[in-house]
Amino acid sequence: MPAAAGIGLRAQHHVEVVSQTPQVAWFEAHSENYFADGGAHVECLSRIRANYPLSLHGVGLSLGSTDELDPVHLARLRRAVMRFEPALLSEHLSWSSVGGRFVNDLLPLPYTPEALRHVSTRVAQVQDALGRQILLENVSSYLQFTDSTLTEWQFLAGVAAESGCGILLDVNNIYVAAQNHGFASDDFLQGIPQGMVQEFHLAGHSRIELGGREILIDAHGSPVCDDVWNLYRAAVRRFGDVPTLIEWDTDIPSLDILRAEAAKADAIRTATHALAA
Amino acid sequence: MPSLRELQTQVVNGLLAEQPDGAVALIRSSGIAAESRLRIYQNNARTNFVEALRSTYPVLWRLVGEDYFRQTAWAFQLRHPSLSGDLNHAGSAFSDYLRALHSDGDFRYLADVAALEWLIQESLLALDHAPLDLPALAQVDTAAYDALQFTLHPSLRLFESEFPAGRIWETNIGDADPPALGLDSGGERLAVMRHEGELRLHRLGRGEYAFLESLADGRSFAASVDCGAAADPAFDATLGLQRFVAANAIVDFALHDTRL
Repeated sequence: MPAAAGIGLRAQHHVEVVSQTPQVAWFEAHSENYFADGGAHVECLSRIRANYPLSLHGVGLSLGSTDELDPVHLARLRRAVMRFEPALLSEHLSWSSVGGRFVNDLLPLPYTPEALRHVSTRVAQVQDALGRQILLENVSSYLQFTDSTLTEWQFLAGVAAESGCGILLDVNNIYVAAQNHGFASDDFLQGIPQGMVQEFHLAGHSRIELGGREILIDAHGSPVCDDVWNLYRAAVRRFGDVPTLIEWDTDIPSLDILRAEAAKADAIRTATHALAA
Repeated sequence: MPSLRELQTQVVNGLLAEQPDGAVALIRSSGIAAESRLRIYQNNARTNFVEALRSTYPVLWRLVGEDYFRQTAWAFQLRHPSLSGDLNHAGSAFSDYLRALHSDGDFRYLADVAALEWLIQESLLALDHAPLDLPALAQVDTAAYDALQFTLHPSLRLFESEFPAGRIWETNIGDADPPALGLDSGGERLAVMRHEGELRLHRLGRGEYAFLESLADGRSFAASVDCGAAADPAFDATLGLQRFVAANAIVDFALHDTRL
């Protein structure tokens, strides 16, 4: 997987990417969108995979749930991995379901030793089932549990150390969580050991008023903001030149706008490493 | 301190069962009420669920309008939350829910439109299959035809409605203004399938429908011809076979007794 910035693949761009093979370093696709037995999406991704490096990024495995891992979901993920042979494979440090009921959102965990042991075991189960390492992504969050005794970065680094997974560091999610919960973004970066991070995510967020206070929402519907670009610079300095992804999921713009965001990330990567050298 | 499982159960009860008190007690307020923080996730969960249903049921969305669709989808989510991390599976029971909601009156047809849209999604996501090997079929002794067992294309779904559900779907799936269509303009029997990447709706006669339904149930060619003829004495098995092979609806065959 090249360290150059890639773009999140969305169905609106399937035809353009297949027919025009635009200059994009790599694509990341949501795993569940290509779980089908057959059909147009699966066919499209097969063609795209023939021309580009690919990452698969899951949103529905519910890794942190105390339910048993869904064997059907895991089997479909395994099939997608065999079909598309992604260079990177990632999931979220979150949960979405219990008692078989799915919320279909990425819910934060309580950062406790119990949850850390549980998630580490689950990540190891998934890696065993797939026969490969996965990356785990930090999520945006709008609430914290009173019982948390660890910081989010201690928890994430702890799961990676215990399970042997890598880390997908979502820089925008760090910024959103830091603003919403009042911690310093740089504490998060410094709390993650160098060498664990294998991918960065960048996206835009929105702001809403709630009870007279502002809260940031991980909306993925706007350009990356200046503060997040600055945090990205710091992340590249600390963790090195790993693949970076531009994500955009609502009000999806043209591929040219996404490529411009990717070019901006590439310019920051290049400048940061020129300085380091 | 509650166990992780107890915490997760309280949070899901708060998000999907409108019982927020247990979850609220577990969440830090930190300047914003815990209930408000939980509500952000409730809104996300609702939005994600509704958008998934909207993508599966675009014609239903257009027929009933955004407000009614959202309200109905939220109420449906409370009764039938998603049981999978793959949102393509959310909404499988939506047509049954609508059928119970509108068991009589002018809106009974909505459940049939929803049922058709669910089958269309299944068809669009089904396995592909190569066309029937006609030269191989030509090698079969005609005396053995009765025992043949045909395989239908994996994307084929059969659907029968007392309403013109297929015409409603076809005239509402695009952006153009749909023509006026009377709900009493006649029912339809349909074979929904994918052919060369495109969705096709084939109108079926009563005999053709019974014939394909019998093949789908795994019965032999002879038994299926009997089913077709029983449903419609005018059913012509030769024409039917030609039509469904040409449409790529029949994609494989085996001698019936070799499968037993």
